[in-house]
Amino acid sequence: MYLINKSQVLDIAKELQKEYQVYGPVMEKEAKQCMFVKVDDIAELDLNAPIPAKPPKHALFPQFERIMSYQYDKKNQKVEIKPDFDSSKKALFGLRSCDLTGVLCMDRFFLGQEFVDDVYKNHRKNMFIVTNTCNVPFKQCFCVCTDSGPSAQEGYDLNLTDLGDQYLVEAGSDKGKALAEKLGLKNSDDSHKKAKSEVIDKSINAFDAIAKDNKAWISRVVNRVTTGLIDEKVWEYIGNQCIECGACSFVCPSCTCFNIVDPVTGPETADRMRTWDSCSYEGYSRMAGGHNPRKPVEDRRSKRFFCKLSYSQSKKYLRPGCVGCGRCQWVCPGDIGLPNVVTYIRRDIQK
Amino acid sequence: MNYKSGICTFCGTGCGHLLDVRDDKVCGVFPMQNHPVSKGRLCVRGWNVHELLNTPEKITTPLIRKDGKLVEASYDEAVSYLVEKLKKVSPDEIGFLASPRSSNEDNYLLMRLARSVFNTNNISLDCDPGHRISLDVLHKGTGMAGMLGSLEEISRADFMLVVGIDITKQNPIIGSEIHMAARKGSRVFTIDTRVTQIARLSNGFLQIQPGAYKIAIAYMAKVLLDENLADVDFIKKHTEGYDSFTKVLSSLKESEVVEKTGVDIEVLKTLARDLALSRSAMVFYSSGISGFDRETVSYIYNLYLMAGKIGKEGCGVNPITGINNLQGSKDMGIAPDLLTGFQKLSDSAAVDKFNKEWGVKLNTQAGKSPNEMGSKLRAFVAVDHDETIIRNVDDIKKTDFVAYIGSYQNGFMDYAHVVLPVATYAETDGTFTNTERRVQLAKKKVEPPKNILACWQVFSKIAEKAGATWSYGSPADVMKEIAKLTPSYSAVSHDKLGIGGVKTYGLDRYDAEKAANKAAFAPVDANFAVPLASEEYPVLLLIGESQHYWHQNNLMKKTHIPLREYNATLLLYPQGYVAISPQKAKELNVRDRFPVKIVSPYGSMETLAQVTDKVKPNTAYVAYFVDEMVTKFFMEHKDVLKRGEDTTIPVRIVKV
Amino acid sequence: MSELNNITIPEIATITEIKDEIIEVKTFYLSFDGRQGGQPPKFTSGQFVMCTVFGSGEFAVSLPPSPENDRFHLTVRRVGKVTNALHSLKVGDKVGIRGPFGNGFPFEEIKGKNVIYVAGGIGFIPLRSSIMRVMQNKDQFGRVLIFLGARTPQEHMYAYNIKEWKNTPGFEMNLTIDNPVPGWDGDTGFVHTLLKKKNIPVENTVAFVCGPPMMFNAVIKELTELGIKEENIISTLERHMKCGIGKCQHCAVGRTLVCTDGPVYNYKQLKTLGEQF
Repeated sequence: MYLINKSQVLDIAKELQKEYQVYGPVMEKEAKQCMFVKVDDIAELDLNAPIPAKPPKHALFPQFERIMSYQYDKKNQKVEIKPDFDSSKKALFGLRSCDLTGVLCMDRFFLGQEFVDDVYKNHRKNMFIVTNTCNVPFKQCFCVCTDSGPSAQEGYDLNLTDLGDQYLVEAGSDKGKALAEKLGLKNSDDSHKKAKSEVIDKSINAFDAIAKDNKAWISRVVNRVTTGLIDEKVWEYIGNQCIECGACSFVCPSCTCFNIVDPVTGPETADRMRTWDSCSYEGYSRMAGGHNPRKPVEDRRSKRFFCKLSYSQSKKYLRPGCVGCGRCQWVCPGDIGLPNVVTYIRRDIQK
Repeated sequence: MNYKSGICTFCGTGCGHLLDVRDDKVCGVFPMQNHPVSKGRLCVRGWNVHELLNTPEKITTPLIRKDGKLVEASYDEAVSYLVEKLKKVSPDEIGFLASPRSSNEDNYLLMRLARSVFNTNNISLDCDPGHRISLDVLHKGTGMAGMLGSLEEISRADFMLVVGIDITKQNPIIGSEIHMAARKGSRVFTIDTRVTQIARLSNGFLQIQPGAYKIAIAYMAKVLLDENLADVDFIKKHTEGYDSFTKVLSSLKESEVVEKTGVDIEVLKTLARDLALSRSAMVFYSSGISGFDRETVSYIYNLYLMAGKIGKEGCGVNPITGINNLQGSKDMGIAPDLLTGFQKLSDSAAVDKFNKEWGVKLNTQAGKSPNEMGSKLRAFVAVDHDETIIRNVDDIKKTDFVAYIGSYQNGFMDYAHVVLPVATYAETDGTFTNTERRVQLAKKKVEPPKNILACWQVFSKIAEKAGATWSYGSPADVMKEIAKLTPSYSAVSHDKLGIGGVKTYGLDRYDAEKAANKAAFAPVDANFAVPLASEEYPVLLLIGESQHYWHQNNLMKKTHIPLREYNATLLLYPQGYVAISPQKAKELNVRDRFPVKIVSPYGSMETLAQVTDKVKPNTAYVAYFVDEMVTKFFMEHKDVLKRGEDTTIPVRIVKV
Repeated sequence: MSELNNITIPEIATITEIKDEIIEVKTFYLSFDGRQGGQPPKFTSGQFVMCTVFGSGEFAVSLPPSPENDRFHLTVRRVGKVTNALHSLKVGDKVGIRGPFGNGFPFEEIKGKNVIYVAGGIGFIPLRSSIMRVMQNKDQFGRVLIFLGARTPQEHMYAYNIKEWKNTPGFEMNLTIDNPVPGWDGDTGFVHTLLKKKNIPVENTVAFVCGPPMMFNAVIKELTELGIKEENIISTLERHMKCGIGKCQHCAVGRTLVCTDGPVYNYKQLKTLGEQF
């Protein structure tokens, strides 16, 4: 564990910039919104900015990207395919722990399971991750319920914690340690470790009452969702409010559904694009010929929450699918973000 | 920071978003949290706008038709050809069809082009009568040609009425605001002919017979009159013409209401009382191609005026436009008889102002809408229009000269002799006025392809070739001129349009206290005839917007995910559909997706049946914008179509 | 982990022959450009591939051939945008292939048992691969009963195979059409109505079922009522697929992904998927 002065913490990013493309939290000036973007000028980074509105997953899993292009000569019956993977080296600086948990979920999903996804693998290899502990929770956060914060526990190369006038820098990997040594950071001692746990305790205490009230808030619901013992009426009630916009899947750090399309770019050329998709859309599960196994909107809602909260899905991610960032709550036009849905289900259980 | 703030241009809500721009391409979008209306939300179209902006199906070069085929040309050649052809005919033989999607600056210049350069007043939007009717009624009544309330005040409305609009599908974020207010305690009631999503989320829902909106609203006004619930202080202080309104109401009978609306009269009475007794109330209804007719809008306006629910906080009569710049287009004078800001051609002082500024002498005789010109139309210029909703497309095919100006490839190009490409909205500056009169600036975010000009540049070129000298250096210059000539836009200038833009008239909402004149009650009649089914034509056929049949089908087809969702209905029913109740289906011995024929006194059409319990037994529902329907079948019902959302045709449905 | 190298970028195959089957259904014989002898990658019946029609898109198609003997081919019905584009291709045109993906029909595990096949309409296509494999090794199985249902006689597929199997001792063929038609001498009525009529074995038996959802549920009901155990009823699920490798999640059914956990499931598993299928 190391220490660095607050005024110099961005030196870490400057050092990373020599080798990596640095992504970090930046306040967009006109809309006054924090976004996690690639920076050229390190001074733009703001570690005190609120949780980025768009989840950093877009650095590894872009909203709209080309994965290959091809040329097909109809007359001569020839085809040429060109893969187009992005394997640039990226550094994620100032990632919040919930977002890191989302990245870890994506890792286990894309790189584990039966097949390894080449597209994601190329984005992910050669990545350097620097996380930032949340000293204060944001309005809608509930990472304490999903065991994903307020400080990252694993998966990072360096973890920063703001101790007042200095940052505690914990190395989580050899790469991280090497960078800290390279920068000549001085070592920390036990008092700093204690300071960190005080910061975390203070942060946890500042959460909304419901978030830390009882850990059973989400886990009881997980039980019910897994076994399917939820009254249809609850899903109907939830489904009625769904505007089917897809926002929940787009802002969720652990949602990875995508669509593949082949737009034609010229008389004999086409691209293959991957775009974010959402299981809230009716056409998501519709097959050619018209049969749609998940046509009613309440079926789609229950599928999504099954995906996020059930034990069986947790096996894929080795942890609950929800990371407690709360973004789905603020972006949902129908006011049925995950916390609200959990509340409705609990209400039904208690009846 | 590759995210640049901007405005979504799909629907009349005008949500704020941030576009991800990299290497001169838009590769992502994210909602803007601090936007006063959208507050960090977007709908399925807004979330996938990058797919549209990235489509390879754009028009890449000007085109001229030679020997029956469109061949590439330069802007100079194409523009010269266009001007030559337009000058060959007389001004009253030219028709301009503007687009309700174009920015204010573009529409203003098109209007200037038509009027000052080609001397014609034959310019319109073709989604009339819809919104024009609302504007006429509201302007005549209050002097404000636009929404009287404000979307930002939805949370402060205690009572909201949603009349005849499937708002969560048409303007999802406004529907969301209403829903959020309901969850915090506001009371929301829906009156509609079909069970829509907002109906299911309301505190109460009245499923009304088609064609009966007018009488239902009139009856609510009568209840207020009979039970002394009208806001007499407000009426005395801020309105005039109340007495003639009450005279008309007195002839309405309760039995007539029950018979024609088919609703529970007690519920309607309670609704009226709730409206009167609430502290603040709003009404939302559809305005645009499926808007109400003049009488119905007048009654809605009068009802709210007499209840004192206009001109105060949390109150307002709110026509909702489905297309993004429908309000702005009307503000820019896209109508045969209007100049900007609802100034009329018949107003000599206004005309003088324009004459001075433009250095011309305008023809002050009102023109005609191109779709009413019949065979008199000999030269036609269309900007960014869906080919399937042009009503007189048969006449257009026979016209001597057709020009199409737009960014995206469109089937309409098949009829064009000249095609001029323009930059998309992300490639140039432009302001858009949303349904609540909010003028917002969408700034340029990417460079257009090297050889593509922005719309304002193309119009300037046309003007130049035709002998006029325009000296605009940018869209901001255009807006300066608009502000000079238009009282309601006088405070609008590009440098003042930050997040949330600026409202026209300098007013967030109509304010009765500050108004210069009293609000006038709209003249109405007591003709409460509803379309009647007969033995030969026992089913009342409604027309309207369908789920996922958003306007701008042409644009939807260029996307991937919205297309898939849009197709949710179209794939299942490729020739369109007619929604019928299960009882009707049983009676006809048909099942879902069986072919049926709809027969009316004027003609017939074949389509597929969709069996749903969202419609009542003796009504049927058909969606706009399916090819055959708009142009062939409904065109025969010209008078009926003028009634917009309430369009009802008695028909007979038979199995094929 | 898989040894395939075509899981994201397709490999190119050439169409060597196109055969018309029943209306709207064609069979495309393929030769793999980058492989020795044009032979396909190793696969087992019941798996599927993702086929790219260049300029149009990609779709999932089950593998009907049996690995031992057939030339590699795909039988595809024309139903949507991409399959329509496929049907307009000619001999010599190229397509892209990714896969094979998914689990296959059980083969070793069912040796020594009686095997019943029940297929409705084009549900016959995936089952055919299993039938052919069993036929090539028929002395390792007990009784083999095949029930094929179609709407009309013209919609019975693979007529040449059916003829061959009719003449194979040990194979019991039962064909049926929905409504009687002059000149048809087989059974009439939906295929599930045949099951109780013909003396089907129940002990030591597996049943393969494939067809539209309504037929599927009716057949399952009959089979379970007759006493066949749920884990011995095997079927293949179809879902909208985009990636085929368990990443895009379009094919999710409850806790399972049809492209990696399926598409072959037994009825006992189907019941516990957590969603209706």
